[in-house]
Amino acid sequence: MTLSPAMPSRVAEHLSGPAERRGYDRRMADAPPIETFGLSKTYGDGVRALVDLQLQVERGEVFGYLGPNGAGKSTTIRLLLGLIRPTSGRASLLGCDAWSDGVSARAEAGYLPGDLRLADRLTGLEQLESLARLRGKVDERLRDELCERLGVVLDRPIRHLSKGNRQKLGLVQAFMHRPPLVVLDEPTAGLDPLLQGEVRALLRETAEDGRTVFLSSHSLDEVEHVADRVGILRGGRLIDVDAVDTLRERSLRHVTVTFAEPLDGAGLAGIDGVRVTGVEGAVVRLSAPETALDALVKAVAEHDVVDFVSQPADLEEIFLELYREDDHGR
Amino acid sequence: MAIFPSIEGSPDLDDLLESYPEVLKSLFGIVEGSSITSGPGYLDAELFSFMLPLLVLLLAIGSGARAFAGEEDAGRLELVLAYPLRRRDAVLAQGAAVGAEVLLVSLAAGLALLVLDPLVGLDLSVGRIGAAGGSLLALGLLHGWLALAVGAATSSRALAIGLPTALAACGYLVNGLHGIAGWLDPLRVASPFWLIGSSPLEGGSSGWGILVVVLVAIPVLVAGSLLVERRDLRTA
Repeated sequence: MTLSPAMPSRVAEHLSGPAERRGYDRRMADAPPIETFGLSKTYGDGVRALVDLQLQVERGEVFGYLGPNGAGKSTTIRLLLGLIRPTSGRASLLGCDAWSDGVSARAEAGYLPGDLRLADRLTGLEQLESLARLRGKVDERLRDELCERLGVVLDRPIRHLSKGNRQKLGLVQAFMHRPPLVVLDEPTAGLDPLLQGEVRALLRETAEDGRTVFLSSHSLDEVEHVADRVGILRGGRLIDVDAVDTLRERSLRHVTVTFAEPLDGAGLAGIDGVRVTGVEGAVVRLSAPETALDALVKAVAEHDVVDFVSQPADLEEIFLELYREDDHGR
Repeated sequence: MAIFPSIEGSPDLDDLLESYPEVLKSLFGIVEGSSITSGPGYLDAELFSFMLPLLVLLLAIGSGARAFAGEEDAGRLELVLAYPLRRRDAVLAQGAAVGAEVLLVSLAAGLALLVLDPLVGLDLSVGRIGAAGGSLLALGLLHGWLALAVGAATSSRALAIGLPTALAACGYLVNGLHGIAGWLDPLRVASPFWLIGSSPLEGGSSGWGILVVVLVAIPVLVAGSLLVERRDLRTA
């Protein structure tokens, strides 16, 4: 007999008292969807997972929460959802304190955990229906639309589904009640590129509908096409919050060009922002910000090119760049 | 149960039991004057002193531990508790589910006895069958809800199984041996088995004892439902 999500429906209906059923009232509608005040979390073993987070997410935006693994993204999200308790400071979700008054806010918010576990013995449809009963409401037409759009497998037991198919179920349950705020922890991990695109479209539509999306990721690439603003977390601290366009200017590419003949990199290094990091015969390695790529490609094209590979720098390097710039700024 | 007709009324078997070591007799509820060759006595010795309570306890403790701590272990609570659901309500709902299971098993045992009695000729009274079922229910509720409460309060499935099992073992031993080992006597009040009475079908069960055990089980469940709200949820 499992608690969730196969909880008997009649029992579930009696669980939320009248306070939780008042719906999306004025207080919740006016407040920022997510706000934190000096939010900190230190775990029992002394690990300082989050330090003094001061953050505000605006209504109707897609906010990308970026950081390498272990930076504190999931900790932040769990604090927002009232799953763990702050060591100091507080978090506010839809105007309600996330720890002491979380039930009211969670009636409206949608959530997709980073490590999604569902009831293996249920079918997809049974699982979605059971979760809908827990919340007490669902828009069935929207649910069916989402299932069709994402290609969700509804009639097989979940234990027979692949990770990607389970993730799709997770996405549907996060969106199917048309929530004013959706919190997603690495939502496109494990999904194929086509589906990733579909999910990004869903996120943008949610924001265009005036609703708010908060998603975490360790990849800037994943987030830059869908987010309005991006916050960067490192070692438990928020080191930067920027509009995506600004970050794009700082976002580096590692470019490896293989020419037909050995060439020195001088001609290329002259381009603003481009650094030659190595030359081996006909292979030239460079780092270039995204904004310099057009000029770089045009310069490279003047010669005979055998291969051209461009890879995004990982977040660690971007952060190092940020620190370097910060140091110069002081 | 089917072998009963062949031993009914046999004086030799009773004599044999009389000669068992005191400890064993005490543990298995073979008290002075009770007779394994009477219907109620036989069942008391065979079923109600050991087998049925053991089965109900296994079921109840397993269910209680799985209900919350098991789900948390499996990582499924992270999604569910992000829904608009107070943790204490979730634990209480699980308590109801465990209670329903225990009730069902107790009823089934009682019904089975009622049905089989005329067939096998044990000559049991309905009142006593009710008492027997009640004693199973009380034991199941106490240990099942304790498992659930410990699991919810500590997030440890091991503790959720271990503590109620230890309580049951101690309770059983204290009940069985307090007559022989005088130093255990004062502890007998804390043993649910003693409170309930170990020979329900021969009239040895105490209605008050059953009530006390159930009344203790309720605050145990409530305590678990309150303590669960204070701690961090463990992640998979």
